[in-house]
Amino acid sequence: MKCYVCAREGRSSDAVAICIVCGMGLCREHAIREELEMWEGGYPFPAKRAKAKIPRTLCPECYNALYGK
Amino acid sequence: MSDLAKRCIAELVGTALLVYFGAGAAAVTLMIAHGTGSGTPFNIGIGALGGLGDWLAIGMAFAIVIAAVIYALGRVSGAHINPAVTIALWATKRFPAGETGAYIIAQLVGGALGSLLFAASAGMEAVTIGGLGATTPFPGIGYGQAVLAEAIGTFVLMLVIMGVAVDKRAPPGFAGLVIGLTVGGMITTTGNIAGASLNPARTFGPYLLDSLLGGPDLWAYFPIYIIGPILGAVVAAFFYDYIAGEGSKAA
Repeated sequence: MKCYVCAREGRSSDAVAICIVCGMGLCREHAIREELEMWEGGYPFPAKRAKAKIPRTLCPECYNALYGK
Repeated sequence: MSDLAKRCIAELVGTALLVYFGAGAAAVTLMIAHGTGSGTPFNIGIGALGGLGDWLAIGMAFAIVIAAVIYALGRVSGAHINPAVTIALWATKRFPAGETGAYIIAQLVGGALGSLLFAASAGMEAVTIGGLGATTPFPGIGYGQAVLAEAIGTFVLMLVIMGVAVDKRAPPGFAGLVIGLTVGGMITTTGNIAGASLNPARTFGPYLLDSLLGGPDLWAYFPIYIIGPILGAVVAAFFYDYIAGEGSKAA
Protein backbone atom coordinates (compact mmCIF):
# COMPACT_ATOMS: atom_id res chain seq x y z
CA MET A 1 0.00 0.00 0.00
CA LYS A 2 1.17 3.50 -0.81
CA CYS A 3 0.73 6.71 1.17
CA TYR A 4 -2.41 8.49 -0.05
CA VAL A 5 -1.19 11.96 0.94
CA CYS A 6 2.08 11.53 -0.94
CA ALA A 7 0.21 10.16 -3.97
CA ARG A 8 -1.95 13.31 -4.05
CA GLU A 9 1.23 15.36 -4.04
CA GLY A 10 2.61 13.37 -7.00
CA ARG A 11 5.06 11.36 -4.94
CA SER A 12 5.24 7.66 -4.22
CA SER A 13 6.07 6.28 -0.80
CA ASP A 14 5.21 3.08 1.02
CA ALA A 15 2.52 3.26 3.67
CA VAL A 16 3.55 2.23 7.20
CA ALA A 17 0.20 2.93 8.90
CA ILE A 18 -3.52 3.36 8.26
CA CYS A 19 -5.72 6.16 9.56
CA ILE A 20 -8.15 4.61 12.06
CA VAL A 21 -10.95 6.98 10.92
CA CYS A 22 -10.83 7.06 7.10
CA GLY A 23 -8.60 4.10 6.34
CA MET A 24 -6.08 6.16 4.37
CA GLY A 25 -2.65 4.57 3.92
CA LEU A 26 0.06 6.77 5.44
CA CYS A 27 3.81 6.99 5.22
CA ARG A 28 5.90 7.72 8.31
CA GLU A 29 5.91 11.43 7.48
CA HIS A 30 2.11 11.75 7.31
CA ALA A 31 1.03 9.34 10.05
CA ILE A 32 0.10 11.16 13.26
CA ARG A 33 0.37 8.80 16.19
CA GLU A 34 -1.16 9.69 19.54
CA GLU A 35 -1.32 7.88 22.87
CA LEU A 36 -4.71 8.16 24.53
CA GLU A 37 -5.15 7.97 28.28
CA MET A 38 -7.38 5.21 29.58
CA TRP A 39 -9.50 5.48 32.74
CA GLU A 40 -10.85 2.54 34.65
CA GLY A 41 -13.48 2.37 37.39
CA GLY A 42 -16.12 4.96 38.14
CA TYR A 43 -19.19 5.33 40.32
CA PRO A 44 -19.32 4.23 43.11
CA PHE A 45 -15.53 4.06 43.01
CA PRO A 46 -13.09 6.80 42.00
CA ALA A 47 -11.96 6.48 38.40
CA LYS A 48 -8.23 5.77 38.05
CA ARG A 49 -5.89 6.48 35.16
CA ALA A 50 -4.72 3.17 33.74
CA LYS A 51 -0.98 2.63 33.29
CA ALA A 52 -1.44 1.43 29.72
CA LYS A 53 -2.31 3.91 27.00
CA ILE A 54 -4.05 3.21 23.70
CA PRO A 55 -2.11 4.21 20.58
CA ARG A 56 -4.08 5.79 17.71
CA THR A 57 -2.96 6.69 14.21
CA LEU A 58 -4.69 9.45 12.23
CA CYS A 59 -4.08 11.08 8.88
CA PRO A 60 -3.52 14.88 8.88
CA GLU A 61 -7.08 15.55 7.60
CA CYS A 62 -8.81 13.51 10.29
CA TYR A 63 -6.47 14.87 12.96
CA ASN A 64 -7.30 18.44 11.98
CA ALA A 65 -11.02 17.70 11.79
CA LEU A 66 -10.99 16.01 15.20
CA TYR A 67 -9.26 18.92 16.91
CA GLY A 68 -11.08 21.65 14.96
CA LYS A 69 -7.96 22.94 13.23
CA MET B 1 -2.89 18.23 47.51
CA SER B 2 -3.12 14.45 47.77
CA ASP B 3 -5.52 12.39 45.73
CA LEU B 4 -7.39 11.33 48.90
CA ALA B 5 -7.78 14.96 50.02
CA LYS B 6 -9.30 15.90 46.66
CA ARG B 7 -11.69 12.98 46.82
CA CYS B 8 -12.69 13.93 50.38
CA ILE B 9 -13.43 17.46 49.17
CA ALA B 10 -15.65 15.97 46.46
CA GLU B 11 -17.50 13.93 49.11
CA LEU B 12 -17.83 17.03 51.29
CA VAL B 13 -19.25 19.14 48.47
CA GLY B 14 -21.56 16.36 47.26
CA THR B 15 -23.01 15.80 50.72
CA ALA B 16 -23.38 19.54 51.28
CA LEU B 17 -25.40 19.79 48.05
CA LEU B 18 -27.53 16.81 49.09
CA VAL B 19 -28.39 18.41 52.42
CA TYR B 20 -28.83 21.93 51.05
CA PHE B 21 -31.31 20.90 48.34
CA GLY B 22 -32.83 17.73 49.82
CA ALA B 23 -33.21 18.57 53.50
CA GLY B 24 -33.74 22.15 52.43
CA ALA B 25 -36.82 21.08 50.46
CA ALA B 26 -38.25 19.53 53.64
CA ALA B 27 -37.56 22.70 55.62
CA VAL B 28 -39.18 24.88 52.95
CA THR B 29 -42.27 22.64 52.90
CA LEU B 30 -42.64 23.09 56.67
CA MET B 31 -42.15 26.84 56.34
CA ILE B 32 -44.81 27.10 53.61
CA ALA B 33 -47.25 24.94 55.56
CA HIS B 34 -46.64 26.81 58.82
CA GLY B 35 -49.95 27.97 60.27
CA THR B 36 -52.14 25.76 58.10
CA GLY B 37 -54.37 23.16 59.72
CA SER B 38 -52.83 19.71 59.66
CA GLY B 39 -56.07 17.77 60.19
CA THR B 40 -54.34 14.78 61.79
CA PRO B 41 -51.67 14.39 64.46
CA PHE B 42 -49.66 12.22 62.03
CA ASN B 43 -49.24 15.34 59.89
CA ILE B 44 -46.62 17.74 61.22
CA GLY B 45 -46.90 20.06 58.23
CA ILE B 46 -45.41 18.03 55.38
CA GLY B 47 -48.59 16.77 53.73
CA ALA B 48 -50.73 19.73 54.73
CA LEU B 49 -50.37 21.25 51.27
CA GLY B 50 -50.70 18.32 48.92
CA GLY B 51 -50.89 15.10 50.89
CA LEU B 52 -48.37 12.54 49.72
CA GLY B 53 -47.51 14.99 46.93
CA ASP B 54 -45.55 17.00 49.50
CA TRP B 55 -43.36 13.98 50.09
CA LEU B 56 -43.06 13.35 46.36
CA ALA B 57 -41.84 16.92 45.90
CA ILE B 58 -39.25 16.48 48.65
CA GLY B 59 -38.30 13.10 47.21
CA MET B 60 -37.82 14.64 43.76
CA ALA B 61 -35.56 17.34 45.22
CA PHE B 62 -33.41 14.57 46.69
CA ALA B 63 -33.62 12.51 43.48
CA ILE B 64 -32.44 15.36 41.28
CA VAL B 65 -29.56 16.47 43.47
CA ILE B 66 -28.38 12.88 44.02
CA ALA B 67 -28.40 12.21 40.27
CA ALA B 68 -26.58 15.51 39.66
CA VAL B 69 -23.90 14.75 42.25
CA ILE B 70 -23.37 11.18 41.00
CA TYR B 71 -22.95 12.34 37.40
CA ALA B 72 -20.80 15.32 38.39
CA LEU B 73 -18.54 13.76 41.02
CA GLY B 74 -18.96 10.00 40.63
CA ARG B 75 -15.67 9.58 38.79
CA VAL B 76 -13.79 11.79 41.25
CA SER B 77 -14.63 10.25 44.62
CA GLY B 78 -17.28 7.65 43.84
CA ALA B 79 -19.94 10.09 45.12
CA HIS B 80 -21.00 7.94 48.06
CA ILE B 81 -22.23 11.07 49.92
CA ASN B 82 -23.50 8.64 52.56
CA PRO B 83 -21.50 6.96 55.35
CA ALA B 84 -23.77 3.90 55.18
CA VAL B 85 -22.79 3.34 51.54
CA THR B 86 -19.08 3.81 52.30
CA ILE B 87 -19.26 1.38 55.23
CA ALA B 88 -21.14 -1.22 53.15
CA LEU B 89 -18.51 -1.02 50.39
CA TRP B 90 -15.77 -1.34 53.02
CA ALA B 91 -17.52 -4.27 54.73
CA THR B 92 -17.60 -6.17 51.44
CA LYS B 93 -13.89 -5.40 50.86
CA ARG B 94 -14.53 -3.07 47.95
CA PHE B 95 -13.31 0.12 49.61
CA PRO B 96 -10.00 0.50 51.50
CA ALA B 97 -10.24 0.64 55.29
CA GLY B 98 -7.68 3.46 55.44
CA GLU B 99 -9.91 5.77 53.39
CA THR B 100 -13.25 4.88 54.96
CA GLY B 101 -12.80 7.10 58.02
CA ALA B 102 -11.68 10.06 55.94
CA TYR B 103 -14.70 9.71 53.65
CA ILE B 104 -17.12 9.54 56.60
CA ILE B 105 -15.62 12.64 58.23
CA ALA B 106 -15.86 14.51 54.92
CA GLN B 107 -19.50 13.46 54.50
CA LEU B 108 -20.41 14.59 58.05
CA VAL B 109 -18.66 17.94 57.59
CA GLY B 110 -20.40 18.30 54.22
CA GLY B 111 -23.78 17.62 55.80
CA ALA B 112 -23.14 20.32 58.40
CA LEU B 113 -21.94 22.74 55.73
CA GLY B 114 -25.08 22.14 53.66
CA SER B 115 -27.29 22.93 56.65
CA LEU B 116 -25.24 26.01 57.52
CA LEU B 117 -25.54 27.34 53.98
CA PHE B 118 -29.26 26.63 53.93
CA ALA B 119 -29.79 28.48 57.21
CA ALA B 120 -27.73 31.36 55.85
CA SER B 121 -29.84 31.40 52.66
CA ALA B 122 -33.33 30.93 54.11
CA GLY B 123 -33.03 32.68 57.46
CA MET B 124 -33.81 31.70 61.02
CA GLU B 125 -37.32 30.46 60.24
CA ALA B 126 -35.64 27.62 58.38
CA VAL B 127 -34.19 26.64 61.76
CA THR B 128 -37.06 27.40 64.15
CA ILE B 129 -39.94 26.29 61.86
CA GLY B 130 -38.26 24.09 59.29
CA GLY B 131 -35.77 22.49 61.67
CA LEU B 132 -33.40 22.59 58.67
CA GLY B 133 -35.21 19.52 57.38
CA ALA B 134 -34.03 17.31 60.24
CA THR B 135 -35.45 13.79 60.39
CA THR B 136 -37.34 12.41 63.40
CA PRO B 137 -39.83 9.61 63.95
CA PHE B 138 -43.33 10.91 63.34
CA PRO B 139 -46.07 10.92 66.02
CA GLY B 140 -47.02 7.35 66.94
CA ILE B 141 -43.83 5.83 65.48
CA GLY B 142 -41.65 4.03 68.01
CA TYR B 143 -37.85 3.91 68.11
CA GLY B 144 -37.74 0.33 66.79
CA GLN B 145 -40.20 1.08 64.01
CA ALA B 146 -38.10 4.04 62.94
CA VAL B 147 -34.91 1.94 62.87
CA LEU B 148 -36.76 -0.68 60.81
CA ALA B 149 -38.07 1.88 58.30
CA GLU B 150 -34.60 3.41 57.90
CA ALA B 151 -33.01 -0.03 57.53
CA ILE B 152 -35.51 -1.13 54.88
CA GLY B 153 -35.17 2.12 52.93
CA THR B 154 -31.37 1.95 52.95
CA PHE B 155 -31.47 -1.76 52.09
CA VAL B 156 -33.33 -0.88 48.88
CA LEU B 157 -30.94 2.02 48.15
CA MET B 158 -27.82 -0.14 48.58
CA LEU B 159 -29.34 -3.04 46.66
CA VAL B 160 -29.91 -0.70 43.73
CA ILE B 161 -26.36 0.70 44.00
CA MET B 162 -25.01 -2.85 43.90
CA GLY B 163 -27.18 -3.81 40.95
CA VAL B 164 -26.82 -0.75 38.73
CA ALA B 165 -23.34 0.48 39.65
CA VAL B 166 -21.11 -1.99 41.49
CA ASP B 167 -21.99 -5.01 39.37
CA LYS B 168 -19.86 -4.82 36.23
CA ARG B 169 -22.63 -6.51 34.26
CA ALA B 170 -24.91 -3.48 34.78
CA PRO B 171 -25.58 -1.29 31.72
CA PRO B 172 -23.47 1.88 32.01
CA GLY B 173 -24.88 5.37 32.39
CA PHE B 174 -28.04 4.71 34.37
CA ALA B 175 -26.68 4.70 37.92
CA GLY B 176 -27.23 8.35 38.81
CA LEU B 177 -30.75 8.49 37.46
CA VAL B 178 -31.92 5.19 38.93
CA ILE B 179 -30.30 5.71 42.33
CA GLY B 180 -31.69 9.23 42.61
CA LEU B 181 -35.18 8.07 41.73
CA THR B 182 -34.89 5.18 44.19
CA VAL B 183 -34.19 7.61 47.02
CA GLY B 184 -37.06 9.81 45.81
CA GLY B 185 -39.40 6.83 45.90
CA MET B 186 -38.27 5.73 49.35
CA ILE B 187 -38.83 9.25 50.68
CA THR B 188 -42.30 9.45 49.15
CA THR B 189 -43.38 6.22 50.81
CA THR B 190 -41.53 6.21 54.13
CA GLY B 191 -40.91 9.92 54.68
CA ASN B 192 -43.84 10.24 57.04
CA ILE B 193 -42.60 7.32 59.17
CA ALA B 194 -39.14 8.42 60.25
CA GLY B 195 -38.19 11.09 57.72
CA ALA B 196 -36.52 8.64 55.28
CA SER B 197 -32.99 9.85 55.96
CA LEU B 198 -31.27 6.66 54.70
CA ASN B 199 -28.04 8.52 55.42
CA PRO B 200 -26.35 9.40 58.76
CA ALA B 201 -24.67 12.48 57.25
CA ARG B 202 -27.98 13.81 55.90
CA THR B 203 -29.37 13.75 59.45
CA PHE B 204 -26.16 14.86 61.20
CA GLY B 205 -25.97 18.19 59.37
CA PRO B 206 -29.43 19.50 60.33
CA TYR B 207 -29.07 18.12 63.90
CA LEU B 208 -25.75 19.91 64.45
CA LEU B 209 -26.86 23.23 63.02
CA ASP B 210 -30.23 23.06 64.81
CA SER B 211 -28.25 22.69 68.05
CA LEU B 212 -25.88 25.53 67.24
CA LEU B 213 -28.52 27.96 65.92
CA GLY B 214 -31.24 27.48 68.52
CA GLY B 215 -33.43 24.97 66.71
CA PRO B 216 -34.87 21.77 68.19
CA ASP B 217 -32.59 19.40 70.12
CA LEU B 218 -33.08 16.06 68.38
CA TRP B 219 -29.87 14.18 69.28
CA ALA B 220 -31.83 11.51 71.18
CA TYR B 221 -33.04 10.25 67.80
CA PHE B 222 -29.62 10.20 66.14
CA PRO B 223 -28.91 6.48 66.86
CA ILE B 224 -31.93 5.66 64.64
CA TYR B 225 -30.17 7.26 61.68
CA ILE B 226 -26.87 5.53 62.40
CA ILE B 227 -28.11 2.01 63.15
CA GLY B 228 -30.90 1.79 60.56
CA PRO B 229 -29.01 3.00 57.46
CA ILE B 230 -25.75 1.18 58.23
CA LEU B 231 -27.58 -2.06 59.02
CA GLY B 232 -29.70 -1.84 55.87
CA ALA B 233 -26.77 -0.99 53.60
CA VAL B 234 -24.42 -3.68 54.91
CA VAL B 235 -27.10 -6.39 54.75
CA ALA B 236 -27.99 -5.32 51.19
CA ALA B 237 -24.35 -5.49 50.03
CA PHE B 238 -23.83 -9.00 51.41
CA PHE B 239 -27.26 -10.06 50.19
CA TYR B 240 -26.47 -8.92 46.64
CA ASP B 241 -23.14 -10.72 46.68
CA TYR B 242 -24.93 -13.87 47.81
CA ILE B 243 -27.70 -13.83 45.20
CA ALA B 244 -25.71 -12.42 42.26
CA GLY B 245 -22.16 -13.55 42.89
CA GLU B 246 -22.18 -17.15 41.60
CA GLY B 247 -19.47 -17.99 44.10
CA SER B 248 -17.40 -14.92 43.32
CA LYS B 249 -17.78 -11.22 43.83
CA ALA B 250 -20.03 -9.50 41.32
CA ALA B 251 -17.58 -6.62 40.98
